[in-house]
Amino acid sequence: MQLILSSAGSYPRIGDAPDLQRHRRAYAQLERGEISAGEFTTVEDEVVTGVIREQIEAGMEVVTDGLIRWYDPYSHFCRGLEGASINGLLRLFDTNVYFRQPVVKGPIRRKASVILPEYEFARSVSPRPVKPVLTGPYTLARGSILEGGYRSAHELALAYALVLAVEVRELSRAGAQLIQIDEPAIVRHPEDLNVLEAALAVVGRERGAARLLLHLSFGDVAPLYRDLQALPVEALGLDFTYSPKLPALIADLGSVKPLALGLIDARNTKLETKESVFPVLDAVLPALKTGPTYLTPSCGLEFLPRERARLKLETLKRLRDDYLRGRS
Amino acid sequence: MSRQKLTRLGVELPLLPTSTVGSFPKTPELAEARTKYARKQITRAQLEALEKKATEFWIRAQEEIGLDVLVDGEQYRGDMVAYFAELMGGFQAGGLVRSYGNRYYHKPVIVGEVKWPGPMTVAWWRWTQSLTKKPVKGMLTGPYTVMDWSFNDYYRDRKSACLALAREIRREVEALIEAGARIIQIDEPAISVRQEELPFAIEAMHLTVDGLPAYFITHACYGAFETIYPDMLELPVDNLDLAISNSALDLLKIFEKDPFTKDLSLGVLDVHSHRIETPAEIKARVMRGIRVLPPERVWVDPDCGLKTRTVEESRSKLEAMLTAVRELRTELA
Repeated sequence: MQLILSSAGSYPRIGDAPDLQRHRRAYAQLERGEISAGEFTTVEDEVVTGVIREQIEAGMEVVTDGLIRWYDPYSHFCRGLEGASINGLLRLFDTNVYFRQPVVKGPIRRKASVILPEYEFARSVSPRPVKPVLTGPYTLARGSILEGGYRSAHELALAYALVLAVEVRELSRAGAQLIQIDEPAIVRHPEDLNVLEAALAVVGRERGAARLLLHLSFGDVAPLYRDLQALPVEALGLDFTYSPKLPALIADLGSVKPLALGLIDARNTKLETKESVFPVLDAVLPALKTGPTYLTPSCGLEFLPRERARLKLETLKRLRDDYLRGRS
Repeated sequence: MSRQKLTRLGVELPLLPTSTVGSFPKTPELAEARTKYARKQITRAQLEALEKKATEFWIRAQEEIGLDVLVDGEQYRGDMVAYFAELMGGFQAGGLVRSYGNRYYHKPVIVGEVKWPGPMTVAWWRWTQSLTKKPVKGMLTGPYTVMDWSFNDYYRDRKSACLALAREIRREVEALIEAGARIIQIDEPAISVRQEELPFAIEAMHLTVDGLPAYFITHACYGAFETIYPDMLELPVDNLDLAISNSALDLLKIFEKDPFTKDLSLGVLDVHSHRIETPAEIKARVMRGIRVLPPERVWVDPDCGLKTRTVEESRSKLEAMLTAVRELRTELA
């Protein structure tokens, strides 16, 4: 059985030790005009290199760039779009993190690649495969203020899908094998599953040889689980921390798609144990019809202090190794 | 009705009582002193002297502006959860986590049984109340928000942590009442984050306040309202404080379907905007409340704490609010 260890997205960009505060200091210097944008990018490069190294040292076999260059999951994609601007702060789901809300006033058009250069840099410094991450079209539309250009959030989701499809095409051509699409908003709006399906179909047309992994978090995915199997993606990433019934449901219904099991709580510092994780693996793994299966944190790790994020990944590796050893 | 409760408690307030949500900006002198204290350049006693000076400044300012129910302005607090976590047993300071942009904070971690350490806010309340004849609110953060804004390494689950906190925060409420506080605000800005957890957030508030003789206010952010109304009416408090300055929500439509059963504090000033609202704008916002509730049940305040505004902006906004309320009182008389 193949259980691949993978990050699920963001990683803390600073830690408490002074030598891990470089990003914060440079950001402040950039805001004060004391360093140039180019100098700040150099610092970001170093931080990305560091968080990739840290993920690999902790045992991850597929890494991300930690989304170090993102201001937040919304404005990162919308800041450079024609037809969109960025508004005030809004709470990101049930977290204590805030994002800047995009405002769409007219037809949106991409002016430059967003993720491709980030992916290319990460790949150049990572000895392990890098998984690029995109915020999905439905979530972007749901989090945007629509003031013109489209008649509904549904139409806007399809417009975002066209933009993201180009990102996916570029990433695929650059060699990305697995591309993660985050769609947390659908968990709270299952009534819009048809909108998500249509938008993902648009994005997926451009995936070439890459596989799309749809990642859902920040809510209970169990009510949606059966319908997720029909979506036009190659794999599903699921946050298990909200879903007490999810393991039994997967055991019952199985999965025709490979799953990324978000078993490690990326929102709380408490470390998982074999008592909390092994029963879930025992229930879920026999029901999976295809692999590989990924083991991941429940969402990006940026909600935790840096040292705890690393400990969570180390815990994930230790649990995976112990589990496989116990079965052999 | 709650106004009768206030009378029973010996608190007489005019029509449309005015108040604020809790925090005021730190005075520039205090802000500088806090930085120096963090760098160990001044002593705790020196800092506290300036905290008292700033608190007195804000008490005088509130009196001059004409507010009816005053606050201590939280000059001695940094963050509304960390302040309590630093004092209570069972917490440790956590590592840095990002809030947005380049803003980071130390998120507390529950590492053991949470424990009331003795009065945390009473001395400040008592001293502040001694400065004025107007009632000063006791100001606490509610158990659900303290739980949600902390990591939990100790309790089995979020509910257990929340209920344990409620039992300890109740002791602070009792201490405030014993000191003489008659109006106590218990803030729950996190209460809407997970709708499925509202039942235990309500259970926690019962543990915190049931049977205690005070007029209780809970401040929630406006997002809360759309997702947890009318269930949030089950919170055992007398007054719900809701931000409406930035919302186009039709209160009338919502309250027609499920009548609002408590007193309502209308947050009519946008604390995230530098712009000073005009009295006419503020009157229109208050009228949205008066159209759906008898004026006797409506209070008026900003939509959140004013700590992110400047001293001057805070004063100007509140002066505009009082101008609007005075005109409305005359018109409604």
